[in-house]
Amino acid sequence: MLRLGLKSLLANKIRFALTASTITIGVAFVVSAFVTADSLRNTFGDLAEDINTGTEFTIRGQLAFGDLTEGIAPPVPESLVERVLAVDGVAAAEGGFFVDGVVPVDGSGVAVTSFGGPVAGSNWTVDDEISQFFLISGEKPVGMTEFALDVGTVADYDFELGRDYEVITPTGPRTFTLTGTMQFGFPDNAGAGATFSLFEKETAQEILGYGDEYNQIGVRVEPGADLDAVEQQLAAVLPDGVEIISAVDATEEFNDAFETFIGPLQTILLAFAFVVLFVSAFIISNTFSIVLGQRVRELSLLRAVGATPAQVRRSVLTESLAIGVVASVVGLGLGMAGALGIRAIFSTFAEGLPSGSLPLNLRTVIWAAVVGIGFTVVASLVPAIKASRISPMAGLSDQYSTTSQRGGPMRPVVGAVLLAAGLALTGWALFGDFDSATPLLVSLAAGGAIVFIAVAVLSPLVAGAIVGAISRPLPALLGTPGQLARNNAIRNPRRTAATAVALTIGLSLVTMVALMAESLKVSFGERFSTAVTADFVITANTAAGLPKPAGAELRAAGLGTVVGFDFDRVELTALRDVDGIVTELITDVTAVNVAGLGDVADLDITAGSLDGFNPAAGLLIHEDVAADYGLDIGDEVVLGFVSGDERVVSVEAVFARTALWSNWIIDQSLHAEVATTAFDDILLMATTIDDPEAARAAVDRVLESYPQASLDDRQEFQAGIESNLDTVLVISTVFLAFALFIALIGIVNTLTLSVFERTREIGLMRAVGMTGRQLRRMIRWEAVAVALYGAVVGLALGLAFGIATITAIPDDIIGTVAVPVVWLVVFGVLSLLFGLIAALFPAFRASRMNVLDAIADE
Amino acid sequence: MSVQAPPIHAAARAVAASKIYGSGDTTVRALDAIDVSFEQGRFTAIMGPSGSGKSTLMHCMAGLDTVTSGQVLIGDVDLSLLSERDLTLLRRDAVGFVFQAFNLVPTLSAIENITLPMDLAGAKGDQGWIDEVVGATGLADRVRHRPNELSGGQQQRVAVARALAGRPQIIFADEPTGNLDSNTSAEILSFVRRAVTEMGQTVVMVTHDAVSASYADRVVFLVDGKIVDELADPTPERIRAHMNQLGA
Repeated sequence: MLRLGLKSLLANKIRFALTASTITIGVAFVVSAFVTADSLRNTFGDLAEDINTGTEFTIRGQLAFGDLTEGIAPPVPESLVERVLAVDGVAAAEGGFFVDGVVPVDGSGVAVTSFGGPVAGSNWTVDDEISQFFLISGEKPVGMTEFALDVGTVADYDFELGRDYEVITPTGPRTFTLTGTMQFGFPDNAGAGATFSLFEKETAQEILGYGDEYNQIGVRVEPGADLDAVEQQLAAVLPDGVEIISAVDATEEFNDAFETFIGPLQTILLAFAFVVLFVSAFIISNTFSIVLGQRVRELSLLRAVGATPAQVRRSVLTESLAIGVVASVVGLGLGMAGALGIRAIFSTFAEGLPSGSLPLNLRTVIWAAVVGIGFTVVASLVPAIKASRISPMAGLSDQYSTTSQRGGPMRPVVGAVLLAAGLALTGWALFGDFDSATPLLVSLAAGGAIVFIAVAVLSPLVAGAIVGAISRPLPALLGTPGQLARNNAIRNPRRTAATAVALTIGLSLVTMVALMAESLKVSFGERFSTAVTADFVITANTAAGLPKPAGAELRAAGLGTVVGFDFDRVELTALRDVDGIVTELITDVTAVNVAGLGDVADLDITAGSLDGFNPAAGLLIHEDVAADYGLDIGDEVVLGFVSGDERVVSVEAVFARTALWSNWIIDQSLHAEVATTAFDDILLMATTIDDPEAARAAVDRVLESYPQASLDDRQEFQAGIESNLDTVLVISTVFLAFALFIALIGIVNTLTLSVFERTREIGLMRAVGMTGRQLRRMIRWEAVAVALYGAVVGLALGLAFGIATITAIPDDIIGTVAVPVVWLVVFGVLSLLFGLIAALFPAFRASRMNVLDAIADE
Repeated sequence: MSVQAPPIHAAARAVAASKIYGSGDTTVRALDAIDVSFEQGRFTAIMGPSGSGKSTLMHCMAGLDTVTSGQVLIGDVDLSLLSERDLTLLRRDAVGFVFQAFNLVPTLSAIENITLPMDLAGAKGDQGWIDEVVGATGLADRVRHRPNELSGGQQQRVAVARALAGRPQIIFADEPTGNLDSNTSAEILSFVRRAVTEMGQTVVMVTHDAVSASYADRVVFLVDGKIVDELADPTPERIRAHMNQLGA
């Protein structure tokens, strides 16, 4: 029986290849996801180890809350170095900096910017062991006029040793002579996509705006010293709010910090892989069902001559196992190639990220095998069981084709139960309360999968009617071939439904993404255009933002009102008069120059007033949080900052509109007291110059010394945001296109098998005068009818899912449902093309069929 | 063996038609230089034992297959000169078919099956004639039914009606009653007979059953790819006697 299963495979190589290819793509996705993530982990893991080697302990300010990714640790006093050095066993201790947003400008006037890795300023240390940087060429920079750059940046931009360059520091643009190139981590490491400008310690202190403080102090211990004892003694000399961590912990922390973006990346790729595998499972199940239906005679003969049901089942499962094994092996190879492709995409965003060889871990191989074989075998389980139930008498009846049309009476019940369960789970995911994203995403994915299975179960019940309606114009447009195409598409609703479901799933996801992107765009546009009245929006081409001096220079130029927006993470405790604590949460506050806020934004103040706002102790809140936390004018709120400082502020006004700011607004002067505030994330500017061209030219002149600045009027800024959303939409669509591609293979597979099944019918039609062209047309439009059915259901489901999701998303993110009509039309047309393409091979085969063989077929 | 000169009114004829499969030692002569002619308005049966070449002859005459050498003509058209596409159009417009089984497209109703060839041609057809043919089948009230809603005999009547509907130059029937019981067979054969006698159609039928062949005006006997005998105005008894004589 085992041989039988394998023989059946080899006898149908094309079908085998098509079926295996669907699951292969899924496996490849899984492998790419793991390999890419592992490769990033290796890159950062190596780097973390490199930079912590030689530094036994790091001393730094305690993070008030959250972790490294949410804020840089508060600085430590310079004087601490002396006390650390005094501890027994300490060989060396030096302070260091890491400040993002230090932008060098190359010889061609190009600012070194990146949204990938940081563009940071740092210092080199005298002690080579403690140093995280290694001199590659030239000299270490000394004094206020010299700097060094990391080798990667020097290689990629127009820099030469010995020449002067401008560096835009948090304290403004300054000129330095480039004296050397240095490397973050060991020389064999590519620097993980980061740009570094390096200065002598004292220079760094001044230009980075730290005064007599450091970000952290690195400690090297004398060889042979007792680490635990040294750590205890060090801990004893540290003031409150300063902590000591070991190299191991520092390495781990570094890795954890990067895991917060590697992990989600891996999850996103695996999610796409899951969609592909899920869709493939439908194709495989459908293919097996049809093939086994066609082999009824053969299987019943086997049963008649003594094969047990278990043996029949095993022969089918052997076949699927073989497909699964081949798919896993090929998918593994394809996945490695895919990982190379993803790496190429990455390196366009961040140079040299990731680097080194592609790591193929055992875990990846195991997953490739598990999903490749698992999905295939599970998908073939139902067809295998059905095949084993074929009676030995089945082959004796004259009934040739598989006649299961709509399935048993339980189908509507099973479908309804699944649908209810899926919707309930999805609803729970969307509207329930979750502490973290993982259970939300898992229940959302599981709910979505169950809904799709329910759709697959229910689809045959409506497929006939819907396909009939879709294909109604065919007979009039295409005559008899159109009529026959329509009849063929309707004749087996179960098969039509099963074939279309892959396309339905793929398209519904694409539609949902498109709907959400469009709605997000429109919602943002509406909020932005009503709330922001400024003439210009100024942002920076680096994650850090614009150095404060840029805003100061603009103000000094007297061109109009300039308001800086600076976001910060705070621990917020809302107090309601004497009743005590209402709520505590960690959230974002926006620090702005409140005095000018009315000139650049229309906040729609619903209570209180901006007039007479107290910069030192005032707070503006959005009406939603006012309602949520029962806050009113005059209520007091305690803000805890990263530095550990606390400030009590009171609500002075409630506003209704948001766009570029969060729900809590304080003044920048208060913020400057409690945080290291060197950058503005956004500057809004209302000019007093009437002529827009003249205004722009005037602003441009001031910003000339900040080449990382990007000046947009409102329309340009809005268009920029929209084009970013479009990019996200296109990227997701490209990934989901793999699912659509698999749907295409599914249609090819089914149609090829259907054509084979209808050999005699086709022979008959050819005999009585159907031309090859008419035959191809018939098959082509059957495929189109099936594809359009999948598209119609997919678009409808996608819109429904999208609207449900938007309903669950707070109104201040997506408040308007906007249907992306153009995209929907594109998807519809694409589906039609899909049908036409899918029919190419089956139609070719059918028209090549020998008429005599077909009618003589017995 | 005597071969008549082709009459002027031949609907189809073969001239020195040979069909050879394989080559060298494995050569099989399915048709061996056959000359035969089927006259207009007559009902001819082709008989012969299994492997005699009777189905091959029919397929070649009907444009479903091609001869290796010699000529096959329908009316004045030499089939060997036609492309695959023109052969298809010829079958559609000039030939009617009735097969033993699987005669009808399952997704089309009886009437759609009957008009299929002319629908494929995009032609209207002669509605009066179609009505007459449908009336003759006795299935006027069932023409909207799908084939699987009709009995085997009804399905074959629809198949005959389809062959007649386009008023082809010639109709080929391949064991049209092979799957039917004797009563139903008689009904179908009478229908075919009426089509020849009353409607003036030309029918060529392959069969191995003497009773079926007795409905024809003429029986042609085929053995080993050659026409060995023929019989006019046959009865079952005379046919059986000839068959025995041929050692079949």
